[in-house]
Amino acid sequence: MPSYKLTYFKHWGRAGVLRLLFAAGGIEFEDVRIEREQWPELKPKTPMGQIPILEVDGTIICQTKAIGRLIAKEAGLAGKTPLEAAQVDMIVDGLSDLQVKIVDFFIEKDEKKKQEKIKEFAEKTLPMFLDTYEKLANSSGHFVGDALTWADVDFFSLMFFLKDHLPNDPLKGHVNLTKVRDNVTSNPGIAAWMEKETSH
Amino acid sequence: MPAYKLTYFNVRGRGELIRLLFAAGEIPYEDVRIESDNWPELKPKTPMGQVPILEVDGEVICQSMAIARFVAREAGLLGKTHLDQARADMLLDGGIDVGKLFEEMVMEKDASKKAEKKKEFGEKTLPPFLALYEGFAGDNGYFVGYSLTWSDIAFFNMMDFITAEFPSALDGYCNLTKVIKIVKRVPGIAKWLKERPITDN
Repeated sequence: MPSYKLTYFKHWGRAGVLRLLFAAGGIEFEDVRIEREQWPELKPKTPMGQIPILEVDGTIICQTKAIGRLIAKEAGLAGKTPLEAAQVDMIVDGLSDLQVKIVDFFIEKDEKKKQEKIKEFAEKTLPMFLDTYEKLANSSGHFVGDALTWADVDFFSLMFFLKDHLPNDPLKGHVNLTKVRDNVTSNPGIAAWMEKETSH
Repeated sequence: MPAYKLTYFNVRGRGELIRLLFAAGEIPYEDVRIESDNWPELKPKTPMGQVPILEVDGEVICQSMAIARFVAREAGLLGKTHLDQARADMLLDGGIDVGKLFEEMVMEKDASKKAEKKKEFGEKTLPPFLALYEGFAGDNGYFVGYSLTWSDIAFFNMMDFITAEFPSALDGYCNLTKVIKIVKRVPGIAKWLKERPITDN
């Protein structure tokens, strides 16, 4: 078993899903969380001046989805066939597209513009996205096949991140997506991890 | 052998990497190019309202990188180990921001804004990216290990677009120049480059 060391800031951000994948796969990893002040010193030592990074037996991988896919493969959560792997990738890429829109309002410094952007996101962008994704999830609560994959975990992770920024539960009325969320939170590794994460 | 049907517009854009990978793997596929007029009818039939899409034995995949990765795997160009594959993924994802800025520049309709964006891209964005990637490429002309992977082909595709606007971009970058040379000589790719439809972008 290789040794894994994940480095990111303390918050959920881009590494939340990666930590969940390790948890779901029951894979041990060193969960390094740095302070903002430590970042300038670390930055030039990373491949592209960004985190998260994952060190695997000395090799450093950056880019969140590249890391996610690697952990998912090790955890058996990347799809059972090449076609399923492509379906997992497609769901994750669509979530990434949504994340770009989230980052846009998240980093907006003008408070009035920010509230406008959040309103547009909550009333138009997100509902349209969730309508599409409700159709892509199946009635057993999975995006691909009939078992948990990175696609389900990534979806849950993004919804978990969003819940503090939205007034209501965006999954209300979305039967399949609610089941996806339930499947993820009832995965034993993830349940234990979330218990630890949210208890302080 | 499953039946592959790629549907996209008659441009290189987000479809060309996929076409290059089919070519590299010498994998037959149907290369469907739709007119903009036909798009509104097709759009609701796609998983996420976008093209390219790839139909594989009746299943529909969308998202150009998901499709490209699938074809890369079929062509044996994904990378040998999970770690090699992760390296290829990371190098591909690392080019996305630069690719987006280039696209914005190309699509800019206002001539003086476009000239500004082109200057900014050529002087500020591109040089550090190429310097970084020169370091990632081996002096054998491969980004991952000691053999061709889809990350070499993706880099070639990106530079194919960029050198149309910045012809001497790769001057002085020995490793990157080698990557391009090797990709162009892959038999299936050499053939495709000769035969492919000529489009503006």
